[in-house]
Amino acid sequence: MPTHPDPLYLDHAATTPVRPEVVEAMAACMTGVFGNPSSGHDWGRQARRRLEEARATVASALGVTPSSVCFTRGGTEADNLAILGLARRARRQGARPHVVTTAIEHPAVDEAAQQAAREGARHTVVGFVEGALDLDALGRVLARRPAVVSCMWVNNETGLALPMDEIAAACREWDVPLHSDAVQAVGKIPVSLTRTPVDMLTVTGHKIYGPKGTGALIVRGGRGRPGIEPLHFGGGQERGLRPGTEDVAGAVGFAAAVRLAVAEAAAESVRLTEIRDAVESGLRASVPGLRVNGDGLPRAPHILSLAIPGADSDTLLAALDASGIAASGGSACASGSSAPSASLSALYPGDTATSLRLSFGRLNAAGQVDRIVAAVAGAVARTRELVAS
Amino acid sequence: MSAGAPGRRILVAMSGGVDSSVAAAMLVEAGHEVVGATMKTFCYSDEEVAQSTKTCCGLDGIQDARAVADRLGIRHYVFDVEREFTRDVIDDFVSEYSRGRTPNPCVRCNSNTKFRDLLRRGRVLGCDGVASGHYVRIDRSGGEARLLRGLDGNKDQSYFLWGLPADMLDLLHFPLGELTKPQVRDRARALGLVTADKPESQEICFVPTGNYRDFLARKLLPVHPALSPGAIVDHRGRVLGRHDGYSGFTVGQRRGLGGGLPEPYYVLEIRPDAREVVVGPRHLLDVDGVVVGDLNWLTTRPEPGARLQVQIRYRSPLVPCRIESYGENSVRLAFDGKASAVTPGQSSVFFDGERVLGGGRIRRVTTSSRPSRRTRGSAPAAPPSESRARPPAPRRTGRPAALRG
Repeated sequence: MPTHPDPLYLDHAATTPVRPEVVEAMAACMTGVFGNPSSGHDWGRQARRRLEEARATVASALGVTPSSVCFTRGGTEADNLAILGLARRARRQGARPHVVTTAIEHPAVDEAAQQAAREGARHTVVGFVEGALDLDALGRVLARRPAVVSCMWVNNETGLALPMDEIAAACREWDVPLHSDAVQAVGKIPVSLTRTPVDMLTVTGHKIYGPKGTGALIVRGGRGRPGIEPLHFGGGQERGLRPGTEDVAGAVGFAAAVRLAVAEAAAESVRLTEIRDAVESGLRASVPGLRVNGDGLPRAPHILSLAIPGADSDTLLAALDASGIAASGGSACASGSSAPSASLSALYPGDTATSLRLSFGRLNAAGQVDRIVAAVAGAVARTRELVAS
Repeated sequence: MSAGAPGRRILVAMSGGVDSSVAAAMLVEAGHEVVGATMKTFCYSDEEVAQSTKTCCGLDGIQDARAVADRLGIRHYVFDVEREFTRDVIDDFVSEYSRGRTPNPCVRCNSNTKFRDLLRRGRVLGCDGVASGHYVRIDRSGGEARLLRGLDGNKDQSYFLWGLPADMLDLLHFPLGELTKPQVRDRARALGLVTADKPESQEICFVPTGNYRDFLARKLLPVHPALSPGAIVDHRGRVLGRHDGYSGFTVGQRRGLGGGLPEPYYVLEIRPDAREVVVGPRHLLDVDGVVVGDLNWLTTRPEPGARLQVQIRYRSPLVPCRIESYGENSVRLAFDGKASAVTPGQSSVFFDGERVLGGGRIRRVTTSSRPSRRTRGSAPAAPPSESRARPPAPRRTGRPAALRG
């Protein structure tokens, strides 16, 4: 547990605490049901029933059929499965695979695409123009009929929300499979595949108060499933897409988390927007030279990404930690790395200001705003003195 | 004592090695609030580094340091100092080699990068001191803080710390200064630290393979004189053969020569302008004195005529000497006897017994006409890293075959 007497968690985009309802559902499953869902006896049937209930819950929350839900061991695995699975299929069919991503993807997508390229695929990265995805460029690349386009729904570093309706419409027009990593979108903004015809969707449990190591790749039925090749072999579980004895309790916890996140998304979004806006305006008033990344662009409500010229990122985060505040630089995954963030470079080419990400969630309340503003402003001022000295 | 009165907040440099791990643990035991910091000094995506089996400072080092910090229940941060490290340490390393000298990058890092940076960041975090796992001691019993050799003569690292700003000493803590390496390992095992049996890192952190010539080749233009062929000449000016770049040579290094010569030959001098490497018999390495530049004093500067002892290489014995005169940021020392293989670029560290008085970089040697036949161990071919347990074996570089012909 944190050692600070009054810790403040502003890193919900990195991960979230498991909520009590999820713990309860998982505990009930783990204590009452241990069977292997593939078994033909009663123990197996009970486990299978829980698993399929979980699948139906996830499907209903996201507006897809249960058979579209492939449980995975988290978001990274789902991203890899979608991209490598389609690239390898195209290759097996004799074509040179072509993988299209955007300039702001999470490494789980970007590096999977790079792996596809090492295996012979062409990899095209669609850039940004003044903060917006270059839809003209996307249109041109779609005309070449790539094997897959992957475009995240909400960017993990900046909170930028991408125009998924337009992107999906463009992909549909060219009949190109579209994958979207939506781990930062579900529960924060409306995500329904009924409304937005994305073919594959990555969801993970631990960003929405579910257990770590759980998630799903949603693979929409109809219109011919894209025919993803599995990354793992041995057993036919998850329709062969993700073999291995299922984590039933994990699936149950994941499903409870998805159901609650989607059900509460509208109200939670309003609440988080208020907190974020209050922190944002407080910091604008107290931190000279501050820039809000994604300012004026559509943003998810839980992420506040700040560009702070003249401060050192590592020291700023350490200073915040010393005052009991958990935040991160670009993203938790890039900790200890000085490489300029690809996401921020895409939005602000050539910019080298330190970035600070505050991400809000269930551990935050409006009453914390003043303390957050004072602590961040104070830490920035101390860190700037260091750089100036 | 070495850890100071309890109840301070101290930032400890944790490389992920056993020494700094135990240093952190001892400070915790002494009742301090300890914060761990690992400095990321260079690019770990470098292929060579990624594939090497380096044991310190790399990504593994960060993971190990974090694991130890978690075990000790202390906070731990990674600070990216790549830009500063490249500017202050790596660029100097390359520049020195390209001028035919043999640098001590660990000295540069300790003097310019590591401790300064940690103190500054520590201040932001409310720390009032900085600690490391170096085997040296700080004596605070008198009015001023004094830097002393580590008690373990095999591990003493004072040679690498002469460049610390004098006013910084009082803020530093070296908990290992009174321990031996085996004692440190025992403590690490008793504490169950993952780093307890980690092998010693032997190489300079940014050249983990030890092949510093390849490293230079990547940093310099391939046509740089330091990497271009030149003549190997003897002390009388006779051409003995060719070499493929003087950066592969260090003064004092024994050359692998074939037959035809009456005795082993050693590198006596590197002449960058002519791209010549001068070799000769061992007794010609013996010199009477040295001119040391880039001085730093940890105490009041001694007057000319003062006697002190100087260490001219890591782990070489102290040489009694006298201060002859001062030049512009330089000092001329006269050895009581002779010293062998005094290598331009290497650190020269001044002692009064076990106390470090200061030091500098060797600019050139001074010698009388009468050669001596006394011999001492040969100098390292590669610059020593501060964690080296033993001096490196002389390494053959270049193409010996070219010499035989």
